[in-house]
Amino acid sequence: MASVRPARRILLLFTAVYANGGIQRFNQTFIAAMASLGVQCDVLSMHDTDASIGSRGRGPNLHAIGFSGSRVRFACAAMRAVWSRKYDWVLIGHINLLTLVMAVIATQPLMRARTVLIAHGIEVWYRIPRMRRQALRRVDSILCVSAYTRSRVLDQTPGLPPERLKIFPNALGDTWTQASPSALPRSLPQRYILSVTRLEVGDRYKGIVSVIEALSMTEDASLQYIIVGEGSDRPFLQWVAARFNVGERVHFWSGVTDPELTGLYTRCQAFVLPSGKEGFGIVFLEAMFFGAPVIAAAEKGALDVVRDNETGLLVPFGDCIALKRAVDRICSDDVLRERLRKAGRSTVTGDGAFTFARFVERSAQVLEIARVAAA
Amino acid sequence: MCGILGIHNPAGIAPDLDGFAAGLDRLKRRGPDDVGTWHDACVRLGHRRLAVVDLSAAGHQPMESVDRRYVIVFNGEIYNHRELRRQLQPRGAWAGTSDTETLLEAYRAWGTDCLPRLNGMFAFAIWDRTDRRLFLARDRMGVKPLYYAERKGTLAFASRPGALMAALGYTGLELNPDALRVYLELGYIPAPLAFHRHMHKLPPGHFITVDTRGTRIQRYWDFRAIRPDPGMYKRSEGDLVEELDALIKDAVKARLMSDVPLGAFLSGGVDSALVVAGMKAAGVTHPRTFTIAFREAEFDEGPAAAKSAQYLGVDHVHETLDVNSLLDLLPTYIEEYDEPLADSSAFPTMAVARLARRHVTVALSGDGADELFGGYHYYPLMDRLSATLRWRRQAKHLIARLARLFPVHRAKLLAGALRCNDPVALFGYLRGVGKDYPALLSGEVMNALGDADTWFAQYAAGFAVDLTGAETGMRLDAGLTLPELFLQKVDVATMAFSLEARCPMTDYRLVEYAMRLPQEFKLRDGQTKYLLKKVLARYLPAQHINRKKMGFGVPIAAWLRGPLRDWAQELIHDDALVDHASLDRSRLRALLQQHLSAEREAHPLLWSVLMLLCFVQKHDPRRASTQLSYREVA
Repeated sequence: MASVRPARRILLLFTAVYANGGIQRFNQTFIAAMASLGVQCDVLSMHDTDASIGSRGRGPNLHAIGFSGSRVRFACAAMRAVWSRKYDWVLIGHINLLTLVMAVIATQPLMRARTVLIAHGIEVWYRIPRMRRQALRRVDSILCVSAYTRSRVLDQTPGLPPERLKIFPNALGDTWTQASPSALPRSLPQRYILSVTRLEVGDRYKGIVSVIEALSMTEDASLQYIIVGEGSDRPFLQWVAARFNVGERVHFWSGVTDPELTGLYTRCQAFVLPSGKEGFGIVFLEAMFFGAPVIAAAEKGALDVVRDNETGLLVPFGDCIALKRAVDRICSDDVLRERLRKAGRSTVTGDGAFTFARFVERSAQVLEIARVAAA
Repeated sequence: MCGILGIHNPAGIAPDLDGFAAGLDRLKRRGPDDVGTWHDACVRLGHRRLAVVDLSAAGHQPMESVDRRYVIVFNGEIYNHRELRRQLQPRGAWAGTSDTETLLEAYRAWGTDCLPRLNGMFAFAIWDRTDRRLFLARDRMGVKPLYYAERKGTLAFASRPGALMAALGYTGLELNPDALRVYLELGYIPAPLAFHRHMHKLPPGHFITVDTRGTRIQRYWDFRAIRPDPGMYKRSEGDLVEELDALIKDAVKARLMSDVPLGAFLSGGVDSALVVAGMKAAGVTHPRTFTIAFREAEFDEGPAAAKSAQYLGVDHVHETLDVNSLLDLLPTYIEEYDEPLADSSAFPTMAVARLARRHVTVALSGDGADELFGGYHYYPLMDRLSATLRWRRQAKHLIARLARLFPVHRAKLLAGALRCNDPVALFGYLRGVGKDYPALLSGEVMNALGDADTWFAQYAAGFAVDLTGAETGMRLDAGLTLPELFLQKVDVATMAFSLEARCPMTDYRLVEYAMRLPQEFKLRDGQTKYLLKKVLARYLPAQHINRKKMGFGVPIAAWLRGPLRDWAQELIHDDALVDHASLDRSRLRALLQQHLSAEREAHPLLWSVLMLLCFVQKHDPRRASTQLSYREVA
C-alpha cells in the first residue's frame, strides 16, 4: 500500500484567476485554501497578465505567472513544470486546458504527480469532443462543482469510473467574508430587487428578461430593479425594460466595487437570478452571506445551493408568472424574508456547507482521499 | 363571435355618442344579430352579438349581474361553462343558459383567478361598479382579438382597430415605426404592437386591470417554460397515440357547444381531418364539412378533401372556383383587415368561410396543429442548420461567400442562415418575408433596436432551457405567428361573413401536452407531425395521410404580373402614399420592376407592401381608394 500523506506541492493550471467571474472566484478561493493548508502553490494562468496578478500572486507559498493569452508560452511553462517532477498534484482548472495539459504530461512518463480536473458547469454539459473525452479518462480525479455537472460528465463519457468524479461545491472566499458594506456613492431606491451578472448576448440564460417581465407585473408598482454587471447585451435589456413599460424602474449599474456590492446585497428586498444554466452560482452564496433572500431557477447547479422555501425560493426557469409570485411573496411577507435571510446566511457562516473553512476541509480531504483511492 | 367596444375614464367619459355608434357599426359583421350599449358616468360599453349559445334575450349584452354590481361585454365562447356553473352558486337563479352569465358569476366568485379556470376563446371586459375597476382579458392562445388605447386618462378597447379609431375620433393615421419595421420583416406584428401609434393589442394570456392604482397588465398563462418530458420516452407509442387522440376528441367535443348549426372546414390535410374525426367520435353522425376546390390542379385540394370526407363519412359540401375568381374577395380583404396582414391564404379562407356561412353559423378548423406538433417544412431544416451555429466565424463567412456563387435557392438559404448566431435568429431568417431583399425603410428606423429578431429574442428568453432548434422554432410560431398571423387571419376572414370559427387544436390542454411532448414524436425520419399522423391513422388509410402537403396557396406572384399589375403599379408609384409609409421610393420601384420582369420573385415582400399601402390609403381621409381595376385586366 502506498504511503498516505497530504500534498506538499501543487501545480495549478488556470485559464484566469484575477478577474471577475464565477470560475475566477473559484480559482481564487482554491488558492486561498491551499495557502491555509500550507501547500506550496505554483500557478500558471493563461489569460492573466503581470498587471492583473500584481502582488496578489506572490506569497510565502505562492508563485503565480500570467501568460497574457499566449497558449504557446503557457504550454512551454507547463512542460517545464511537469518535467521538474516536483509536484504531488497537477490541477487543471478548466476543461479547455485539458487536452493541452494531458499532452504535456504524456511527454514525461516518470511524472509521479496525480492529476485532477475541475468541472465547473456549462463548459462540460454539452458535446465534449472526442479527444477531450479520451483525456478525461486519463485524469485521476474530477472535481465537479455540482451534482448536475457530475451527471453531465458521466453521461457524455461512457467508461469513466463514477468514483473518480467527486462533488466539490464552491464556497465564499475569505476576502468576501471579511468585506463590510460601504456607503454607496449612488442614491439607492427605497425598495429594490437585485441581480448581479454578466450581460453578454450569450448569457441570456441568466433570466434577466424574465425578471424584467415579472417586475412589470408585481403588486408593488414602486419596486425598483438594480442590475449590476457589464456587457454588450445591455441595450437589448434596456429595450426589453421599455417594452414592458418599466424602463424607469430598471437601473443598470456598472463599475460597482466589492464593498459597494455588499451594500447592495444588504439592503435589497431579494437577490433574483433565475438562471437556467448556472454551474454552481457563487453569487447566491454572496447574496446569502450579506443577508439577501434569494430567488433562483430550479435548474442545474443552483439546485445544490438553494433549497426551495428554506434557503431561498425556486421557480421554473423562464416562468415569469411564478417569478412574479415569488417576488410578491418575499416583498410582502416580512416573516418569510427574515426566515430566508437567516437560513441562507447559515449556509455560508458557522458550520454551513459553503463556508471557506468547509472548502478547505474538502480540499484537504479530496487530495488525500484521491491518493488513497489511487493506491 | 361578437364584437365588443368600451371607453373608460375615471374622471368621466366624453358624451361622444356618434363616435361610439360609428365604432359599434364597424363591428356589425362580427355580430349581426343584436346590438346593445350600457353606460354610467365613467364607462360606456357596447356589444354586437352573433347569437350562438342561448339565442334568447337572456343572452343580450352588455349584461348586468343579478346585484347589478358587474357589467360585462364578451366576445367568444367559454366551452366549459356548464361545468363551471356546477361549481358556482349564484346569488339568485340563473337568468338564462348563456356562457356570458356564467363568466360574470365566475368573475364575481373568483375575481381574476377565474381566468385559469376558463377553457375557451374570449376577449371580454367587466366593469365593477362598486370598486370602480375595469377588467379586460384575452384568451390563452389569442384566438379572439382585443385592442386598446390609453391616452389622457381614457382607456378604450375594441375587437378591431377600426372600431377603436371611430370611437376615439381618430381620423388621421399616426403609424407606429416599430410596427412598420417588424411588419415588413414578418408580414404581421406581434402584440402589444399595433399599427396606430397610440394603440396596442393585448397579448394572448394577459389581462388588464384599471382602477385607482392605475393600469396594470399581467400575464396569467404561459406555455413557454414547459419542458419537454423525457418520461414520455418510457411510454409505448400506442399509449401516447391513445392519450393524444383522447385529448383531441375532448377539445373537439367541448367546441360542439352550440344552439345554431355547426360544421367544419375540411382540407385534404391531417389537422382538419382529425377535427372532423373528433366530431364523429363525439356523436355528430353526419358533420357538415366545407372545402373550396379549384379548377387549376396545382392549387386544388378538392379531391383529397373529398376522399377524406368519404373515409370519414361526412356530409361534404364543396364549391369549385377558378383561382382568379378569388380576386373578387380583394375589396373584402382590404376592407375587413383593419391592420395590414400579409397572408395571401386569407383569400381561400374567406372563400371557404363564405361557403360555410350559407349552411352553418359555426365552423371548426384545424388551425394550430402545425405550430404545436411540428408541421412546417422549416422545422427539420432548423435542426439541420443549427449545426452551423457552432462553426467558427471565419468558416461560416467563407462558406457563405461560396454559397452565394451558386444561383440556386438552397445555396442562398444556406448563405443567409450562416449569418445567424443562434436558433432564434435562424428562425427569424427562415420565417421572415423580407429575407434577402433590400431594406425598404429609412436608415433611421432600421438602425434602432426593435427588429423582428429583437422581438423573437425577448419572447424566447422565457423558453425552457436546452431546446433544439426545431423546438425553438415551434414555440416561436405557437406564441407569435399563430396568434398574430394565422388566428388573426381566420378571425377576420370568418368574421367578414359572420361565421364563428373554433380551433380545437388551440385548446390549452393540447398546447401544454404538445410542449411536454419531446421532439422525436413530432419530427421523425423526415416526417412532420409524426404522432399526430399516427392518431389520424386510426381513421384514415396511411397512403392518404402521407400525401404531400399542399397548403392553402394562391398565385400571388402570377397575379402581380397579371391581373393585379396595374393596381400594384399605381399604388407603388403613388409617392404620397409611399412617403407616408416611410418607404424608400426608388428601392420599392426597383423591387417591383424586378418582380414584373421575372428577374426575381419578390411577391412575399411586395404583397406585404401593397397591403400596407392599402391600409395607409384607407386611413387617408383626403383621398379615395385606388380603383381596383383587376377585373378589366383579367
